[in-house]
Amino acid sequence: MEKAINRQRVLLEHLRPSNSSSHNYESSLSASVCAAGDSSAYQRTSVYGDDVVIVAAYRTALCKSKRGGFKDTYPDDLLAPVLRAVIEKTNLNPNEVGDIVVGTVLAPGSQRASECRMAAFYAGFPETVPLRTVNRQCSSGLQAVADVAAAIKAGFYDIGIGAGLESMTANPMAWEGSVNPKVEKFEKAQNCLLPMGLTSENVAHRFGVTRQEQDRAAVESHRKAAAATASGKFKDEIIPVSTKIVDPKTGEEKPVTISVDDGIRPNTSVSDLGKLKPAFKKDGTTTAGNSSQVSDGAAAVLLMKRSIAMRKGLPILGVFRHCHRTFAAVGVDPAIMGVGPAVAIPAAVKAARLELEDIDLFEINEAFASQFLYCRNKLELDPEKINVNGGAMAIGHPLGATGARCVATLLHEMKRRGKDCRFGVISMCIGTGMGAAAVFERGDCTDELCNVRKVENHGFLSKDAR
Amino acid sequence: MPFFKTPFNGYSVKFSPFYESRLAVATAQNFGILGNGRLHVLDLSPTAPTLSNLVSFDTADGVYDLSWSESHDSLLIAAIADGSVKIYDTALPPTANPIRSLHEHTREVHSTDYNPTRRDSFLTASWDDTIKLWTVDRPTSVRTFKEHAYCVYNAAWNPRHSDVFCSASGDCTLRIWDVREAGSTMIIPAHEFEILACDWNKYDDCVIASASVDKSIKLWDVRNYRVPIAVLNGHGYAVRRVKFSPHRRNLLASCSYDMTVCLWDFMVEDALVARYDHHTEFAVGVDMSVLVEGLLASTGWDELVYVWQQGMDPRAVVLAFEQTSGKGKKLGDSYLCGMYSCKLEMNAIRWNRAMYGSALRCSWKLSINLFVVGHPFDV
Repeated sequence: MEKAINRQRVLLEHLRPSNSSSHNYESSLSASVCAAGDSSAYQRTSVYGDDVVIVAAYRTALCKSKRGGFKDTYPDDLLAPVLRAVIEKTNLNPNEVGDIVVGTVLAPGSQRASECRMAAFYAGFPETVPLRTVNRQCSSGLQAVADVAAAIKAGFYDIGIGAGLESMTANPMAWEGSVNPKVEKFEKAQNCLLPMGLTSENVAHRFGVTRQEQDRAAVESHRKAAAATASGKFKDEIIPVSTKIVDPKTGEEKPVTISVDDGIRPNTSVSDLGKLKPAFKKDGTTTAGNSSQVSDGAAAVLLMKRSIAMRKGLPILGVFRHCHRTFAAVGVDPAIMGVGPAVAIPAAVKAARLELEDIDLFEINEAFASQFLYCRNKLELDPEKINVNGGAMAIGHPLGATGARCVATLLHEMKRRGKDCRFGVISMCIGTGMGAAAVFERGDCTDELCNVRKVENHGFLSKDAR
Repeated sequence: MPFFKTPFNGYSVKFSPFYESRLAVATAQNFGILGNGRLHVLDLSPTAPTLSNLVSFDTADGVYDLSWSESHDSLLIAAIADGSVKIYDTALPPTANPIRSLHEHTREVHSTDYNPTRRDSFLTASWDDTIKLWTVDRPTSVRTFKEHAYCVYNAAWNPRHSDVFCSASGDCTLRIWDVREAGSTMIIPAHEFEILACDWNKYDDCVIASASVDKSIKLWDVRNYRVPIAVLNGHGYAVRRVKFSPHRRNLLASCSYDMTVCLWDFMVEDALVARYDHHTEFAVGVDMSVLVEGLLASTGWDELVYVWQQGMDPRAVVLAFEQTSGKGKKLGDSYLCGMYSCKLEMNAIRWNRAMYGSALRCSWKLSINLFVVGHPFDV
């Protein structure tokens, strides 16, 4: 501190020629609190070639399962378009991709891994590009992105794709076989078997989240999602999918192109939602209206080393700093699994050496209004910064795809908001009692100049003069 | 002409004496007041007007100055604000650098100069009021010159006599030294105010230029230093650096806190040859290429490095960029674009930058004051 004051004193002398004979400015110099906050990370503008950056993030529209636009679409036909999009939109040679990691939850493990591998072929990837799946329940998509970032940081490969896929039409939630009777003796293990809706009731009951608050949050989510759709914000991130729809009565097949989320109800109101019956418990507060929707969808995120993105002249949407941990997964009580984000967000933000106040935008998955509200209130977050384009209650929650979907939504919103929006956080609760969160930094100002294309001819005139 | 955006604020730029297309830039975070530093080695593309980053080295404190070795084409000396002097080898990867770190100065090291004739030693001038003489292979300094009563801002070797150098200090004196002598051989009370820079004429080994906070540059003949042989007035604020042309006897370049770079011919009455106002913050580094006549480089606190041919407009590429990308209209997105369109728009962008950019992020009230003082347009 003293050193900085001394340096300023020397430099200030250079600008005050009239007084240079007497060195007596001690009184005029004092440290003061910076208006922009004083987090050390906020000062950081270093750019390293080793940083992992996100250059593309796209998703399909999310559609209601069994009734929506993708009810007759194979799961691999959802994944292939987004995989193709991240390659085509960046003009990347698919041969250069080191690995594809797909988050996916409900489908049988091996079958889904095969489907994803097939989807990579449909998308035009050569046989030389490997693929694997990852399952961390509701945060699988985010885990896939984090895994790819970690592998790039570790040097396993330089370019990778993190993706997410879920068709809840094809694979509804189910338990196969019998439950080990030993579970009776382990309360925590038994709680892992609770339906998610009951964990939501537990959160609402234990932390006193009322039905009305929950319904209001749902209405708000629908309103924001409808506004974002109406203003075309989602057009940046949604890849239209050409598929078919079968009429349930006539059996007639019709080709369609799905490019809009179909679960959003712009006109929903608190009084409408108030009429719904509790879905999980007689005297409960969790209804179909204030829970996330059951959906189909997919998303993909292209990550690479910054040095490679610069060489290819690709725009940098988001950055994982090479010198900081930016992802955290934590465990919580399975009976109230919804509190996951309240633990995971501070953990990830601290690991990134930031403060909660430094975060300009949040995507917190709305599995249930009860847990969403609890996490928001517990962390005392500004509602204006959270899920600004709506959340899972309106858009939908295709479990494995949600994490990657949030990356696409968050980064495109950060891009729109410009430099004021530097750090964003994605978080969600995870069934069986966990939480995950990741911190994303917006591609920074120094990128812009280094990436501009070379000018071959110019007339030295301003735009106005032409 | 080519320009390069550095992440930190520029402090010094020097052309390589070995490669005509290579230069190095010293930069410091938060205007050198608090934070890290970085040393960039840049290459000029032979075909397109672009500068590319060949290699860069990070330091724990700001880099205030650098000098290229005259004996090895890959060695660089860096003057660091934490008082250390570091030697870098650009042929080695950043992890193997610096190859030497010399800790003797007790305050900020403000300049360094490599001996151009004997090519075995270099000088560093520091805010601890001393000048030190070093060789690349020795772990400690060869000699310390302590006579100045305040910060020494600059020390420069004589281009002909390998043992003679001059120094410029905040104690308002210019001193001539001979390393074979015990003390300074000459004390010139050159200015009424602090002297920030000095340089020897490359063709007449008796002529020195001094640059001062009093906004003037004075030319001295060491054989008769009662009166200056010329006084160059024209800068609006303190002159930060002065450099004689390696190609023409009477030509010198200077840069100043008034954000301009000037070229002067000290033998004619109307001495100002050219004034370049391409920087938008204090211009603190300027150099002239030894290998290409008329090639100039400058850097400043606006985080930009420009290289241009004398007579050309240094920011031609920036203008063209603005023209083709159309980004000049978007205030606050990139403050660089469009700042030259007109004075009014420039004010708006500065205002924007003050709100979002590094100025406010620097957690010191005074550094903002510095800005307003240094800026000719009131924001």
